[in-house]
Amino acid sequence: MVEDAIIYACSLGLLACGINLIYTCTGTFNFSHGCMSTWGLYVMFSGVAILQVNLYCLFPVAFLFGALLGIICYICINGPLLRRQAKGITLMISTLGYDLILYCGIQIYADFLTYAFKLYPRLISMKMYDFMVGEMRAATVVAITLTATIVIALYIFMFKTRLGIAIRAISETPSLTTLCGVRPSKLHLTAWILGGGLACIGGAMISLAITGTPVMGWLLLPSMFAASILGGVNSVLGGIMGGVIIGLTEFLGSYSLASLLGSWILSYKPVISLIVMTITLIVLPTGLVGIKETRLVKKLKSKKFV
Amino acid sequence: MTPPLLYLILSVLAEFAIFLIVTLSLNLEVGHTGIAQFGRVLAVEVGAFTVGGLSSRLLAWILGLPAGVEYADPLRNCFVVDKINVALSENVALGLGYFVLSLVLATIAGALVGWLTSRPAIRLREVYLGMSLLAYGELLMWIAYNYQPIVGGTVAVGIPDPFRIIEVKGGPVGGFYRTLTITSIMLAIALLVYFLVEKLTKSPFGRTLKMHRDCEIAASAYGLDLVKTRTMSLIVGSALAALAGALYVFYSGACNASAFSKLTWTFWPWAYMMLGGVGNNLGIVVGLIIFLVVRVLIMQYRFDLAAVLHLPFDPIWLEYAIVGLALILIALFKPSGLIPEKAATILPRDKIRSILKSIEER
Repeated sequence: MVEDAIIYACSLGLLACGINLIYTCTGTFNFSHGCMSTWGLYVMFSGVAILQVNLYCLFPVAFLFGALLGIICYICINGPLLRRQAKGITLMISTLGYDLILYCGIQIYADFLTYAFKLYPRLISMKMYDFMVGEMRAATVVAITLTATIVIALYIFMFKTRLGIAIRAISETPSLTTLCGVRPSKLHLTAWILGGGLACIGGAMISLAITGTPVMGWLLLPSMFAASILGGVNSVLGGIMGGVIIGLTEFLGSYSLASLLGSWILSYKPVISLIVMTITLIVLPTGLVGIKETRLVKKLKSKKFV
Repeated sequence: MTPPLLYLILSVLAEFAIFLIVTLSLNLEVGHTGIAQFGRVLAVEVGAFTVGGLSSRLLAWILGLPAGVEYADPLRNCFVVDKINVALSENVALGLGYFVLSLVLATIAGALVGWLTSRPAIRLREVYLGMSLLAYGELLMWIAYNYQPIVGGTVAVGIPDPFRIIEVKGGPVGGFYRTLTITSIMLAIALLVYFLVEKLTKSPFGRTLKMHRDCEIAASAYGLDLVKTRTMSLIVGSALAALAGALYVFYSGACNASAFSKLTWTFWPWAYMMLGGVGNNLGIVVGLIIFLVVRVLIMQYRFDLAAVLHLPFDPIWLEYAIVGLALILIALFKPSGLIPEKAATILPRDKIRSILKSIEER
């Protein structure tokens, strides 16, 4: 139970982080993240069910596939729109169109799996392919290590490499960054590759905690948005933080409430994340990263002394 | 026995009427005001649930039937609705009053919800507003789906049929005349809404909305209250969408929480609007007709298509791809839609002169 919550929270963190990376760099709030994550599930499912490969060897494949989806989206849809300086709403609605196409692809692929391999791809439980490492499930260990690695790697990438610094710069002042001789198209492509890859890995990992269906990504989408807003849409690492918090509250919060109030509360699990999101929007519209550490300390101190 | 083609045409017309209202209300908020409304489904849900959960309960209570929590119990609901239907088929005035009252209540509830959702979200910028509106729509759907006493939860709750009397007179089988009646009523209401929105967008209120959309800084410099404008737009739009939701429930005869997905009630209207022309009411009609025709053709010929092309999958999924592709292609190549919005015409020059003259003479 707790392990499920940890896996779910870590994956939600990766998903929200991908959304934030794409938003902060290109200004596109990516609706197609839902179906990208579902594709991660299907990449893993087909590898495990058809090729009988170990579950965790498929994570890099999922990353590459997600990166491919991201590249396609950037080259065909997002890039031309960004060059034309389209409005935020247009960017959003174009990724929604991409999302519907990806959904159609998922359903067609699921039909194909049914006809060609006699599988049941519409209700997948990846848990049965998992194994135990000592007392814990392998998925928990992998989720924690993978998320920690990605956090460290992203930190190094965003704060220590030239490319990452350029991405942070372009999210603050695009015009000044291009004046300094940075090509925005390179940064946008990087963001889409990383964002798409993270979406697919997150989707693959989250299916180890919940049931995989073709609409899994769509059902997760509000939670992802809640996570990315809680973390602060302009902060990449904030997304991971928000995802972990939302994921843990959703799982552990609903189960602890269920032990208090009865099991009926379990079906309202997605409502929790939406309530957290609404409160965040009202109280802290910039998300958790918007809290100024020094100011908070000052406030606390002043209260103490007054 | 009426031919199935006639039923098909009627169902397409009914869908046209409902989605015309929904898309017009969306256009009022997105195309005219510039709000990123990604939660259209919320107001539609509210309209539907008002009819399913409130006004039909009121009717049951008036007739002395169980109207409390037990009304939405799936085991008892069909019997209660059946009894109400018998009563309605004997009393025309009661049925008509119920129908009109339901629509009025739904509209009021929609306006209320528009105001409520505008409260926390209204000060937020584009993306945040869109996200929070999207989330609210999901929220209500989840609650209604899981909490049985509202509209039956996972099982649909029946809607008393105010046009039952026509069916009884029309013939022993079918209900063709009933479908014909409700479809024509819906079409009439949809046309009424169309002219209302057309008038509204040409009025000073509509121009205020457009000013808000085009340049917020200029609008506030002219003394326009931006938050108030956005709130008004959300209220009017949500009220109209709730009306469409109520009509939909009356048409289908049942209110099922899971029928209100964000795909059908938010994203499809977006596609209709984008194709026809953002900010243009006539464009909405054109976009809606094109999409409806394509969807009906897919639904009708999908098995033939699969047989001819030897598709290894169900062609129903292609519908999603077509809507998605249309959204992308419009965004890329024709951002203003098939019929772009025209600059609002002011009065002709000689008319302005004559007005000026009449002022001078005074």
